[in-house]
Amino acid sequence: MRPENYEPKHHPPSTEFELNFGPNHPGIEGNYALKVRLHGDTVVEARADAGYLHRGFEKLMEQRLWIQNIALVPRICVPDPSPMEVAYSMAVEQLCGLDVPERAQWLRVMQLEMSRITAHLFYFGGHAATTGMYSPMFWGVADRDLVLDLFEELTGGRVYCIYNMPGGVRRDIPEGFLERLSKLLDYLETRLPEYDNLFFTNHVLVKRARNTGSMTQQQALEWAVTGPNLRATGLNFDVRRDDPYLVYDQLEFDIPVEQGGDALARTLVRRNEMQQSIRILRQIIQQLPDIKGPIRAPIPNPLAWNVPAGDTYVRLESSKGELSWYVVSNGGQKPYRVHVRGPSAMHAVQVLENLSKGCRVEDVAQIMFSLDACPPEVDR
Amino acid sequence: MDNQQQLENLLTTVDNITVNLDNQRRIRLDVPPKELPALLELLKGRAGFLHLSAISCVDWIDENEFELVYHLWSYQINTLVSAHIRVPRDPGVYISVYDLFQPAAFYERDIHEMYGLYFEGSPDMEKFILTEWDGPPPMRKEFDSEAWVNDHFDWQDYRPDWLIEIEEQGGGIETRPDEQRFSQSKGK
Repeated sequence: MRPENYEPKHHPPSTEFELNFGPNHPGIEGNYALKVRLHGDTVVEARADAGYLHRGFEKLMEQRLWIQNIALVPRICVPDPSPMEVAYSMAVEQLCGLDVPERAQWLRVMQLEMSRITAHLFYFGGHAATTGMYSPMFWGVADRDLVLDLFEELTGGRVYCIYNMPGGVRRDIPEGFLERLSKLLDYLETRLPEYDNLFFTNHVLVKRARNTGSMTQQQALEWAVTGPNLRATGLNFDVRRDDPYLVYDQLEFDIPVEQGGDALARTLVRRNEMQQSIRILRQIIQQLPDIKGPIRAPIPNPLAWNVPAGDTYVRLESSKGELSWYVVSNGGQKPYRVHVRGPSAMHAVQVLENLSKGCRVEDVAQIMFSLDACPPEVDR
Repeated sequence: MDNQQQLENLLTTVDNITVNLDNQRRIRLDVPPKELPALLELLKGRAGFLHLSAISCVDWIDENEFELVYHLWSYQINTLVSAHIRVPRDPGVYISVYDLFQPAAFYERDIHEMYGLYFEGSPDMEKFILTEWDGPPPMRKEFDSEAWVNDHFDWQDYRPDWLIEIEEQGGGIETRPDEQRFSQSKGK
């Protein structure tokens, strides 16, 4: 909301005052705002205020061809764009009854897990900054860049890969790519203990994050919390294992679970997930050379492609939680309706409002970052 | 599959319901709008469908109806149920399920903002994303965003007077009118 249009609605008694937290604030993620009512240092009420990043993707997608939308979808969530394009492609494939070749499915899993690592590296840098530590931010972003280099080599794009299309992926891995990926994983594995020393076992983090923004498992389920935030409350659930898609049922990985549901537990879940993603990528490096075959299924002329009428609901596990797409076709050349349900739609609004209540004002930023909320997913 | 069998038995107790098994973990239900709250309560209470994954709205303008789809996930039996209902576009009112699922508040607010469908009993129906928007609900099918832009905004002028003046004195970078891709004055 523009400042000139802002009219404070409640004029609380003199002990309370209202603080606009964002949309341009170092303690807030992206273009997002919280209206916080304070009593001294304590938050009495927090109200989320979205819309600073609304680009109307759902409407735009209704006006574009099925294939054109592929370039649009990764832009919905900036820090973790790959799951968006995979989810959209999977939805179109389900509507058409297309079978995706096995090699393409493995390549997609590789892309998703690399993307998960980039998102978590980005995340822990941000979380560290809200506790006053700025070095982890540099480390996280620098190491993320190394993964982005491989994305660039594989797909041509560093952040928005646009690697998928309905039916499969755009191109195969370049020569020597798996060796370079393997080397990078070696490097990242040696970095994990250093991250631990720097950040995850740092007293500053432990003292600040323990018991901050904690929720019980029951609350998490009531508020539709998903992904790492849900696993931090002790519930062992992961869409990759319990509602498997692609080839996740052929891969071995553990699902990190922590107790307590506070900011520290959420951080540790993500730290352990990075390790599991490295483990998954190692299996892919080992098995991918044996999987021969095409990388995409033949599709009709994409510029005159009538996708059969129907609807489908696709879910997958992004780095932030459950990402779902509801796609409806009326048999035309463009989607009739697309609904994106990003995990942050819950985390950044209801959950953040609830958790901020009663905490101190300096913890609001930490709670938001520890939930790994991504405002572009709320605005779409 | 035992659990799913139980779920199917449970669903046979509901009147006027169409059940479609899409695949192993996806079930589509078509219900009359009146029956939906009771159905959701039954699913939540008896089959562990605690997680309201999303509420999607589809505008079927030819049939003059809104379709609302409630996607529920059960952590107990690992199954997704999509319950479809149709409500008339006019007057566009339905009841909230906030008392059953708290996340519904966000989706209902979003649908109200984008489609103008009002939910009775929802805790907050104020604007959220489109705070300063005073036009019609933009996700409705009759809303033409391009026409709206043409009516309400000016296209960028790529050859303002001051630039023409500079060009006449031999400066500036000339772009021929047929190369101006985004200017509306093209061809005039």
